[in-house]
Amino acid sequence: MDLALQLLATGLVVGSLYALCAIGWGLIYGTTLHFHVAHGAVFALAAYYAYVGQKLLHLPLVAAVLLAIVGAAVSGLLIDLLLYQQLERRGAFRTSLFIASLGLLILLENVLAIVFTPDPMRMDIGALNTAVIIGPVFLTYLHILTVALAVGGYVALVLFLKRSRWGQAIRAVSSAPEMARTVGIDLNRVHLLTYAVGSALAAPAGILVAMDVGAEPFRGTRFVLLASVGVIMGGIGSIPGAMLGGIFLGLLENLGIWKLPSEWQAAISFGVFLVFIVLRPRGFFGRTIHSAEI
Amino acid sequence: MLAYIAHYLVMVGIYTILATSLNLLVGYSGIFSLAHAAIYGIGAYASALAALKLGLGFWGGLLVAAVVGALAAALVAIPSLRVAGDYYIVASFGLQVVILTVFINWTSLTNGHAGLPGIPRPSVFGLMVDDPFRYVVLSLALAGLTYAICRRLTGSAFGRTLRAVREDEIAAQATGKNVVVVKITITTISSALGALAGSLYAHYITYINPTSFTLDESIFITSLVILGGTERLAGPFVGALILLAVPEALKFLAIPDTVAAPMRQILYGALLILFMFVRPEGILGRARVRPAA
Amino acid sequence: MAAPILTVQGVSKAFGGIQAVEDCTFEVAPRLITGLIGPNGAGKTTVFNLITGFLRADGGSIRYKGEELLGLHPHEVEIRGVVRTFQHLRLWGKMTVLENVLLGCRTPLGESVVSLFLRPGRVRAEEAAARRRALEVLDFFGLAGRAHELAEDLAYPEQKLLSMARIFATDAEVLLLDEPTSGLDTESLGRIVPMVRRLTEHGKTVLLIEHNMELIAQLSDEVVFLHQGRVMARGRAEQITRDPALTEIYFGV
Repeated sequence: MDLALQLLATGLVVGSLYALCAIGWGLIYGTTLHFHVAHGAVFALAAYYAYVGQKLLHLPLVAAVLLAIVGAAVSGLLIDLLLYQQLERRGAFRTSLFIASLGLLILLENVLAIVFTPDPMRMDIGALNTAVIIGPVFLTYLHILTVALAVGGYVALVLFLKRSRWGQAIRAVSSAPEMARTVGIDLNRVHLLTYAVGSALAAPAGILVAMDVGAEPFRGTRFVLLASVGVIMGGIGSIPGAMLGGIFLGLLENLGIWKLPSEWQAAISFGVFLVFIVLRPRGFFGRTIHSAEI
Repeated sequence: MLAYIAHYLVMVGIYTILATSLNLLVGYSGIFSLAHAAIYGIGAYASALAALKLGLGFWGGLLVAAVVGALAAALVAIPSLRVAGDYYIVASFGLQVVILTVFINWTSLTNGHAGLPGIPRPSVFGLMVDDPFRYVVLSLALAGLTYAICRRLTGSAFGRTLRAVREDEIAAQATGKNVVVVKITITTISSALGALAGSLYAHYITYINPTSFTLDESIFITSLVILGGTERLAGPFVGALILLAVPEALKFLAIPDTVAAPMRQILYGALLILFMFVRPEGILGRARVRPAA
Repeated sequence: MAAPILTVQGVSKAFGGIQAVEDCTFEVAPRLITGLIGPNGAGKTTVFNLITGFLRADGGSIRYKGEELLGLHPHEVEIRGVVRTFQHLRLWGKMTVLENVLLGCRTPLGESVVSLFLRPGRVRAEEAAARRRALEVLDFFGLAGRAHELAEDLAYPEQKLLSMARIFATDAEVLLLDEPTSGLDTESLGRIVPMVRRLTEHGKTVLLIEHNMELIAQLSDEVVFLHQGRVMARGRAEQITRDPALTEIYFGV
């Protein structure tokens, strides 16, 4: 029972990380329909931006983190501006965009591996490492911060989408792009904004992981993959769904370890994913995207 | 030196089979799969185990490889292709990860990281294929066979349907094509052929372990397809010829191993991006209808 | 009066709060041209999507020769004998004109992987027969000379003809034409309009969506007037097109 509670707690923490990646990726996918695997590179970059900020620029931790979030937002925006929009201008179609995104992911991860080596780069997180013991459960302040940031990020995103003009523009483009264009919304601009916001949400996830176990070049691939699974399970086009999907995956992975060996974590998640899309392709809350809509 | 060229040609043959079969999916059908290395691995392990544990010969091994590879792909394709291609990307990514996990962790079957040594050399029509030159013939012959099979497929009404589905799936449905069945069929065939390459590889190197079948390998095979060009069936062969020479070139430049591996990946990544700019319509296109006047 | 070949009964469809089609009921008589008209947004294309299975109706029934079509996939509807064109044509631009029509012809053996490898002779024969049929169809539509050009290289009126040729080749009995005359100049209209008539002379039933009231009067035998997703009126073409109340709805607010 104690183990189960510990795994539940860890699951919530890991789920929070997946949720942050998922809501950001889901926002991008739902609005642009780009299968943006390079989001994994942004995740990794954010971690290194924070690391560089702290270790090389000697910034205080908070400043380094903020720098990293801004850096991630800019990185995501540039990816859309310089890669996807350029390809779209040349008449490229979705699979080509995906292949380019995949190429960029591989390229950036390996550049990071050469520059920083594949070994984890640790950051100083001082007091955040302090243990917190709640009953049988052992956590650190960092873990609690992770959950708090995920909730905070989610609330901030939902408010942004509901209340602000730009958020509403994103929602318009997300649900009816042609109509949005007719009423004068500049789709390219909205896409750039979407990428900035979505990438800014991935940043805390990458940074938190880096603070916990160190920044690594290749971790982003796994995270973006799980983010996409979370989004599909939560329902494409639904931010609450993506949040739920991410948390669900985190819990699934960790509770799965309770009964099954930990190496099978990935297999469990994907097995559940496959069953899910058979039984309920549109996920918890979303619409299924069929290959085209008339 | 001659033995070295023979080795290069054998690998070209194997990778031609891999890239040609992946091209059926990515190039002809517009379905992107990240699991081809896993399928390659399934073919290798299935064939190796068939030989080591069941004493099956070359043809038996090929058959087992093809069947197991096809089944693994179908298992994932059937639920996800019913919905949309993007779901298959995620599902194939998942398949790749899970299969690799199986290779590494189902140690009683696969020996995990230690791998399977001692895979017997094949005996084809009573002839033992154990010198490099015979292997070149076998490898290129199987590559030729794969090419012929793909040719038959793509040149037929089925191939025509594939191209139609790729270009505009809605129109294909409206014209009576069961798009889901078509996609699942081609995915299964592509995987059966990819698994064959695994069988060939296993009996050639006589030792296999999980590191040959990772996601990086899937990316490499994809690069072969993109480089060679997806529109023509001979493209993958050209891609293989070029990209297989690259690691050797890097070795000549005396780049340390720790940097060589990521450098190759950077090259492949850059290649994928570059080619999407240079020939973006080569992969997937929807009919661009002229707007109403 | 022959029994209707296609009946739509009480069909409805809602999208996210908007009732696109409601309690839609009408019949299509065989071997006649029935026009489906109504102002923009009346739900005409939605009705086509519902009949052909691209959308699933929330309720009601759609019968073709007595057989229920509701719930079938588009390709299943097509095989039974109801086929449609698209407003945006959806031709396979990067394939040739001949290939576009060949895809409409029946080639079950050539599309079966098993037959491809085990019965090459029969596949060859089937393909040859399909080619002959496709060329006949192209000839009927006046496109035989363009057989080997890419569909995207055709002029717009010819592309419209090709989209009709494609579905004609399927041997389906009921052809749903989505705005076959939109975007055409008078000269091109002179090519398309007679073709639509000739379809019924070959035993086909046509249901067409059309905006031009005059063309409707010319082309259709019967008319179904749709407004805000409901059937406002049905009847002979002359009745409907001359009804002042309907004309007002059509052009009005």
